[in-house]
Amino acid sequence: MGGEFEGVVRPRRVPRTRGGQAIVEFAVVLPLFLFCLIGALDAGLWAVQTSAEVSAVEQAAMIASSAGSSPTSQAAPDALAVTAAISGRLRTALFGTTVASWCTKDASGGCAPDTGQRCPSTPAEVQNADGPRVVVVCVSEADPPACTTPPPGRPTPYPPGCQDSPVITVRVVGFVASFVPPGFGAGAGAFELPTNISATTHTLRFAP
Amino acid sequence: MRRSRRRGDDAQAVLETALVIPILLFLVCNFVAVMVQVTVQEQLNSATALAAQSRFQAPENAVDPSGTRCCGAPGASLATAGLPTGCRYAAETFYGTMTTYTGLLHWQSAVLCTSGGDSGNAGRPPSPPVAYVGSPSNAEVSCDIGSVKSDGVVVPGYTDRALNPPAGLEVVTCSASASLDFANTPLAWGVFWTPTLHAQAEALPPPFRQ
Repeated sequence: MGGEFEGVVRPRRVPRTRGGQAIVEFAVVLPLFLFCLIGALDAGLWAVQTSAEVSAVEQAAMIASSAGSSPTSQAAPDALAVTAAISGRLRTALFGTTVASWCTKDASGGCAPDTGQRCPSTPAEVQNADGPRVVVVCVSEADPPACTTPPPGRPTPYPPGCQDSPVITVRVVGFVASFVPPGFGAGAGAFELPTNISATTHTLRFAP
Repeated sequence: MRRSRRRGDDAQAVLETALVIPILLFLVCNFVAVMVQVTVQEQLNSATALAAQSRFQAPENAVDPSGTRCCGAPGASLATAGLPTGCRYAAETFYGTMTTYTGLLHWQSAVLCTSGGDSGNAGRPPSPPVAYVGSPSNAEVSCDIGSVKSDGVVVPGYTDRALNPPAGLEVVTCSASASLDFANTPLAWGVFWTPTLHAQAEALPPPFRQ
């Protein structure tokens, strides 16, 4: 018995329906698996980027609060100088994202002093101005109101807070690169997530 | 016989998928939640550190005049009249920096401005900081200022800054606590814990202070 075929193992035929079932299972599981994998990767990436932004903004606030042109200056510290001080740290973490300084461009394309001292309030504002996957560093200064003669019965100094030192706000705002595909997440476009981190501090100001 | 076995295989596959997918999503949700917690903790540390340093940007011995208010939670600004101006500066810095993720945080209310505090030693029991008169108690940050001992006694060999401020300088310690709540986020589906975050920072005055 057996003859010439003895010892040969024939592969068992897989039913066609079972092969189809495997493909369907694979098609269902693959997107879920990719969703979880990319979600976890993106969460880690986002945490690293945000962490770098928080520490950079803190450092920038300290620099900005002591880097005015003079102790009695009424102008905000130079945004370019502050950006240059922290951009190295930001670029290390924000791969795929452009780091820029928020300032008014002059005729030669350079940064003119920002007389308005207004930072973008939303990441979308940065996207409209500078394109996708760009974060800007913005430095603004809020000066206290001028002191005036108080009305009768009101204590000096008047108005309250008129002798305060200016408040410096450093903001890193825009969209950072991520794995979020088009149509998902909070990004305005594809492969980006919004960020808006700020730090505020009072400046050290000497009496004039 | 063969048909019932195939049906059993199908049911097993469905069951496996139904078990694995929620577990996978649960893990991803918790991973994202941990990332959020780390980020918020960093921001809390940063806000507290800047607040402590900001206290020294105010002129020494400056006191807020009557009618002065500042910052605070929406609709609940803090009255700081009669308090050291540095306290208001610290609060303004804290609230100005802690601007994101605030919807996830439940703050533990604290007295904005305290003074004193003594962690004690072998011969003296610890004493808690005393609130400044009129200091608001609904603040989200608390700064203990002016921790120089009134008698100026230096305890030899003791490194606690509250007991032995370096060269007799003031030490400011700011702290804040909040719990992170994911209940109103999509992560609530798989995150069942509510971590409590705490940050504390200390600052010394700059030598060129006014």
